[in-house]
Amino acid sequence: MSSAPITATTSPKKSLKPRDLINKGLAYLLLIVITFASLFPLLWMISSSLKERRDIFLNPPMWIPANPQWNNFTQLFTERAFGTVLYNSFFIAILHTVLALFFCTLAGYAFAKYTFKFQGILFGIVLASMMVPSETTIIPMFEIYRSFGLIDNPWGVIVANVASAFGIFFMRQYSAGIHTEMLEASRIDGCSEFRIFTSIVLPNLRPALASLGIITFVNQWNNFLWPLIVLRSPSEQTISLAIRTLESGARTPYELIMAGSVISIIPLLLIVLLFQKQLIGGLMDGAVKG
Amino acid sequence: MASKWWRWQQKSAPYLFISPFFVLFGIFLFYPFLYSFYLSMVQWNGGKTKTFVGMDNFKRVIQDDVFWLTIENGLIIMIIYVPLMLLLATLVAVLLNSNWVKGKGFFRMSLFTPNIMAVVAVAFVFSIMLNGDNGLINVILKQLGLIDVSILWLDSPVWARVSVAAMVFYRWMGYNMILILAGLQSIPKDIYESAYVDGATPFQVLIRITLPLLKKILVFCVILSTLGSFGLFTEPFVLTKGGPLNSTTTPVLLIYQESFTNLNFGYASAIAIMFFFLMMIFTFIQMRVTRDND
Repeated sequence: MSSAPITATTSPKKSLKPRDLINKGLAYLLLIVITFASLFPLLWMISSSLKERRDIFLNPPMWIPANPQWNNFTQLFTERAFGTVLYNSFFIAILHTVLALFFCTLAGYAFAKYTFKFQGILFGIVLASMMVPSETTIIPMFEIYRSFGLIDNPWGVIVANVASAFGIFFMRQYSAGIHTEMLEASRIDGCSEFRIFTSIVLPNLRPALASLGIITFVNQWNNFLWPLIVLRSPSEQTISLAIRTLESGARTPYELIMAGSVISIIPLLLIVLLFQKQLIGGLMDGAVKG
Repeated sequence: MASKWWRWQQKSAPYLFISPFFVLFGIFLFYPFLYSFYLSMVQWNGGKTKTFVGMDNFKRVIQDDVFWLTIENGLIIMIIYVPLMLLLATLVAVLLNSNWVKGKGFFRMSLFTPNIMAVVAVAFVFSIMLNGDNGLINVILKQLGLIDVSILWLDSPVWARVSVAAMVFYRWMGYNMILILAGLQSIPKDIYESAYVDGATPFQVLIRITLPLLKKILVFCVILSTLGSFGLFTEPFVLTKGGPLNSTTTPVLLIYQESFTNLNFGYASAIAIMFFFLMMIFTFIQMRVTRDND
């Protein structure tokens, strides 16, 4: 009897605890399961890239290649010109990113820090241009490209969407945070407007440039539809296109396709590991401000 | 002289700074957009001659069962993955926003990773896992005793749509989770504190406070997913080639096939224009519906 009051006073606290633990346990279980599901296809890609073709489809499955076929990778470079293809991918993605950063920052800064005639209408046009999905203009674009000689030309992929409305919008948000006094002071010191842009604005926007740069690079690296239309000959292909080309032929070389896929995601995995803060931070800022 | 130049460069600077966008916009977006209206009224195989045919292409699109099937496919694929994806994304975002979960950075990064992996690479690994008899998924399901006969993941109309939807789910869950997480973090903490002081349960807080405040961002996610579903290209192009029986042909894939495979550039342009207006209508409806709910 004497123990009754004690249990009565402690039970509300204690009865919550096991339930809490179960809830937290379930939450962690959910997080771990979907994390595993997110990473598993990439692990299977790596595993398959080191197998012989017949070992990719086995019952029971071969989880870890018994006899790693590094040859799959060397074969891509010696027989399928993956060196050229990788060079093309880097060339296109890097130049596109640099130009995109330059044009988007120029315009975003102008919209944020100047007042000028027709500013509202002009910015309205920038926003409205987001409404036209690029997929709907591939046919006229193809003809325009042909007359400019941009078909089978890496510049055809580099210039497409290089001054994107998203990028301008993104840089406008960040430019708004630059102190106007700083700009005015350099004006009094006799800096030209472009000089102010290169020596004050760009250094101040470094974090935003990193975020937008990484987002742009990743998108361009993964771009598929437009390069598929523009880059016709094998020597001009990007890595995504080259992987797709491996598929044609009598027997699909799945082990080579997987090895090519692994090569194509290595730069992306490095970006995830090194720049996740800029990547995710940029997206989150964009979401809340937009 | 110098001061004249000085005033000129000051006045013209903003216009010069925005001019690259407008030049590129004019050449690569506005002009092609207008030009596509003309192309939609010609018959053209990509060669030198274009024959003006008026509205014939549009009449054909409206009577084309395959065109309407692509719209249906987009809708079905959307219905399969969007509600489930947003539910899971919201749940995970709420968990990753709570203060007791450890390893948030790791979970956030891992869940976001599929989104930035090359689409082609992901599509091929999916096609290997879903492939025929001894693809990994069928093997696992058989070993678990869940199925006796292999499921034709890529070769039956119903499962092919599920497979495409599954890959889209896989690629975009983490992205939506990040957007929702950003929305959650923008909700001021003191709203929660005062709700708990007033004796609200965590579930009530979720329903009454969190979700209504997230509405703007969830609507944004739904609109993005809608446009994304109809605009799918690489996933069906690699996984199913639009088949079987066009069950996974999306409007964009149809535009591509009609133009660059069948060389009906005029007809494909008419499809593109119909597609554009349908997308505008879908977006408009979704914005209206969610506004009326307020």
